[in-house]
Amino acid sequence: MTFRRKIIASLIIGSGVIGASGQALANDSEELEKLRALVQELDQKIRVLDRKSELAAEDAAAKKKDTPVVKASASGFGLESADGKNSIKLRGVLQADYRLYDSGANDVRNRTSNRAGNIDVISGFHDASDTALLRRVRPTIEGTLFGKYDYRFTPDFGNGSAQVVDAYIDARFDPAFKVRAGKFKSFVGLERLQSGSDIKFLERSYVTNAILPNRDLGIAVHGDVLGNKLNYAFGIVNGVADGGNISSGSEFNQDKEFTGRLFATPFKDNDSALAGLGFGIGGTYTDFQGEKNLNFTDTSAADGTRNGLPSYVSNGQQTFFRYGGGVIADGKRTRIAPQANYYIGPLGIIAEYARVSQEVSKATDGSTAAGGGNINTTIVAGTNKTLHHDAWQVAASYLLTGEDASFKGVKPKRDFDLDKGGWGAWELVGRYSEIELDKDTFKDGAGLYAAEFGGTSTAAQAASRAYSDLTKSAESAHSWTAGVNWYLNSNAKISLNYEHTEFDGGALQKGLVQATNNNASGSNVRDREDERALLARFQVAF
Amino acid sequence: MKTFISPLRSIAATVALLVPLAASAADITLLNVSYDPTRELYQEFNAAFAKYWKAKAGDNVTIKQSHGGAGKQARAVVDGLEADVVTLALAYDIDEISSKAKLIPKDWQKRLPHNSSPYTSTIVLLVRKGNPKGIKDWDDLVKPGVSVITPNPKTSGGARWNYLAAYAYALKHNNNDDTKAKEFVAKLYKNVSVLDSGARGSTTTFVERGIGDVFISWENEAFLALKELGPDKFELIVPSLSILAEPPVTIIDKVVDKHKTRAVSQAYLEYLYSDEGQDIAGKNYYRPTKPEIAAKYAKQFPAVNLIKIDDVFGGWQKAQKTHFADGGVFDQIYAK
Repeated sequence: MTFRRKIIASLIIGSGVIGASGQALANDSEELEKLRALVQELDQKIRVLDRKSELAAEDAAAKKKDTPVVKASASGFGLESADGKNSIKLRGVLQADYRLYDSGANDVRNRTSNRAGNIDVISGFHDASDTALLRRVRPTIEGTLFGKYDYRFTPDFGNGSAQVVDAYIDARFDPAFKVRAGKFKSFVGLERLQSGSDIKFLERSYVTNAILPNRDLGIAVHGDVLGNKLNYAFGIVNGVADGGNISSGSEFNQDKEFTGRLFATPFKDNDSALAGLGFGIGGTYTDFQGEKNLNFTDTSAADGTRNGLPSYVSNGQQTFFRYGGGVIADGKRTRIAPQANYYIGPLGIIAEYARVSQEVSKATDGSTAAGGGNINTTIVAGTNKTLHHDAWQVAASYLLTGEDASFKGVKPKRDFDLDKGGWGAWELVGRYSEIELDKDTFKDGAGLYAAEFGGTSTAAQAASRAYSDLTKSAESAHSWTAGVNWYLNSNAKISLNYEHTEFDGGALQKGLVQATNNNASGSNVRDREDERALLARFQVAF
Repeated sequence: MKTFISPLRSIAATVALLVPLAASAADITLLNVSYDPTRELYQEFNAAFAKYWKAKAGDNVTIKQSHGGAGKQARAVVDGLEADVVTLALAYDIDEISSKAKLIPKDWQKRLPHNSSPYTSTIVLLVRKGNPKGIKDWDDLVKPGVSVITPNPKTSGGARWNYLAAYAYALKHNNNDDTKAKEFVAKLYKNVSVLDSGARGSTTTFVERGIGDVFISWENEAFLALKELGPDKFELIVPSLSILAEPPVTIIDKVVDKHKTRAVSQAYLEYLYSDEGQDIAGKNYYRPTKPEIAAKYAKQFPAVNLIKIDDVFGGWQKAQKTHFADGGVFDQIYAK
């Protein structure tokens, strides 16, 4: 019985266990299905999330192609379209200068003004005045449209005036064929084409500031050919006086000026020592034949021009030469300017020569602005002459901190940062330049030194008057410049130049008063006082 | 001497004939802006046309392709993309190129046979092998738990055909009640988990990423998926009703005149109607319009009850304005 109970009990228990297991299995199976379904659902959700993330990234990449790019860097601030074809950029140059004159006379034009204070009674000159000034305050808006039309607009608020310096469009149809139209630097001189923030000296040489044109209004074709080793430029412009910068938009005469320049860098991209050599030639030609605007005054670097003729300034920016008020540009003006530069490692050298051949005549009467008596102007027959003025310069720069010299600015290897031990870039510079005016400028019809033919001179006086007075204007200037540039970083620069200029002529002999003008032999002429000046600049450019 | 000179003269004459020919062989490039799923079709067709044109005119033709959602592609052409030809999913998008950009005349569609549609297609349903969700027709797509893949009708031409096919089904089964049809498509799009910008993107989502239970697909895309990945992965379900899709083609007049490619562009599109062009269409699962070639591929395509957009929706202009314009029915029913 016990055995049977045991068996029955076992059977009862066993069937219970089996029943319970079967139920458990069935429950497990359901659970598994639910889990499987849940896993599949979760798998789908993860896949959906991944795919949405993928599509969002594709959308973002597609939008990026259309999203404009905002740029802010040491080279300016700007906005550019996603494809890079349209952009606008804000840049700027600010130069705060100080001019300290150890000796030197002031502008020749100020000789007759009455002023209190020190005056060289003999020569009639005041001392050149020490001065702080804003030399350049130039915000620039530039950019590109449709990938090939560059534009640039630069006003200048320095030197106590406001004017438009650059305003042009440059159509880059091809690297070998570009067209520039508007107001722009004439493609003539080498040093002029260097940016005002990149020049090695505070003021450019006589070649650039005196003889060759600054900026003009017109159109030019230019480009780079022969593997970018030859740059050419040919222009037709209104024509400006030497060193001139058209500001008013009007002009002295309807005749246009042709400009041209070729500049070669044949060893560029070579490994040779000549890789940094560039040389070329520039020139201008015009012929003033038609009516002349004798009211025309065009602002140049330091002095208003008159009658289509320039004034020339010293390295300390004091005018030392001016034509007489009755002298006008009349006929041809030709300029020729061979030029070269060479860069190797930290050393840079630039050499330029320029000659201007200017036909001038003496004219009577004319407007008061031209120095006349406000009646019709008459060109005095037989007074036409071609005057040849020459200038040249050789300048060198040397970077002490190991950067490579170049035509463009200097980017220091290490910015000035006392914490990090960086001293910026240091550069020594030196230059010799001179300008020689044609001696016939100061001579009369008989070839003798004479007083200048002024605005109130009469026709009868023409034969015995010169185009300029050697007791007021110098016939040559010879300048030495030594300096140092400290580039704190690629945007800030501090410069110091010491200038020493000697003149031939340009003042009246001792013991004479200015009422006594030049004499035939020129014995009442003495040299204008040497100019010794320390010029300093703090510049920020971006 | 005579026997020596005569062959020389013949050679010289032959060279004189050949030199101008060789000198005049031009290199021509065309841009074909197309909708999303036509990549394989035009890859094959372009090679065939280039060979044909070389033999006929001696010029070397290279056709560059651009693919994307038809709406987006049309907008790109309106915005300045210089397409010599467009081969898009629906006529409305090409009408936009005419009306907004004035690049082609208004009557562009009459310039080529069959309303400028060299091939047609339709919309079918692609499901996983075994059809685990039991999809048989459009109303299965609105059931809870069914994940639907279809592109965005705002950007994709195919997506608009998809939407209209579903809407037409709902109209038919609800006595042309627009309110009910709107509810139907609202439920359908609620089941859409990923909205790609174009038909090929949706193919990628369904086929490669393994997302969704049913893909509302261009017929050719469905066949391509079956062919590329094997019939052991997917099944094609023919719904009880679908829409006749007529993807049209045209030259862009202002562009071809600027590029001086009018003749070759016109020939390119006309070649789609040639025997070879139609054969290539059929091979790539587009329904040829030329009867002889259509007959050749008849067995390839399932029989589908097709409605026409003009009959049910009053044409593309009206359909676009009602359903796909900003604030239209799609915007109303689709919650972003």
